[in-house]
Amino acid sequence: MKSARWGAIALAAPLAFLLAAPVQAADGNVEAGRVKANTCMGCHGIPKYNNVYPTYRVPKLGGQSAEYLAAALNEYKQGNRAHGTMHAQASSLSEQDIADIAAFLATAPKHP
Amino acid sequence: MKRSIASFPSLVLSAALLGLAPAGAALAQGATPEKAAVCAACHGERGAKPIAPNYPVLAGQYANYLERALHEYKSGDRKNPIMGAQAASLSEDDIKALATYFAEQDSPLYTPSVGDAPQQP
Repeated sequence: MKSARWGAIALAAPLAFLLAAPVQAADGNVEAGRVKANTCMGCHGIPKYNNVYPTYRVPKLGGQSAEYLAAALNEYKQGNRAHGTMHAQASSLSEQDIADIAAFLATAPKHP
Repeated sequence: MKRSIASFPSLVLSAALLGLAPAGAALAQGATPEKAAVCAACHGERGAKPIAPNYPVLAGQYANYLERALHEYKSGDRKNPIMGAQAASLSEDDIKALATYFAEQDSPLYTPSVGDAPQQP
């Protein structure tokens, strides 16, 4: 009985770590993010807005998780996603800016 | 013994048919591409419910954006060990078929707006 319990704990501990690991980054303030996300809306707030050279639509961000949005912004910032404009934008953002923007966009109202 | 020899040509034939199947599926409109199952393992059923919070929703995303992203993972313009490995095995037809399929799925995604200042209850 005792050993079975310890076994369950031993199994659960690494699982808990795995679940907790990706969540740590997002401690964003939604209202601060609302203000900081103004620039994003110039492209991402317009339905079917196109990137140019090459032409493809800029992605829909509403409905993505704060964790994913923060990860994407960090990748643009670090140069792990090649995109001139997004790299320039993300490079000007602090860790807190990214957390705030991600927190806001994940819960942003829909384009009217 | 005789039996196994007799079935050999039919085995070859069915293997050949299986080889043709993916190309046909990629062309059929509205069909689920065979490789979509691999994507669904992480991005969730129909790409709508990722298994980890830092994985994106694919369902309902613009098809040509998804296509672009897969090309960038394949070329290394986007550096991600998991997606780089996945995209490396995709053909041009695979990428088109997957992007089209996921863009067509029911989606929680939408175009956001800044909205109004907070409303007090």
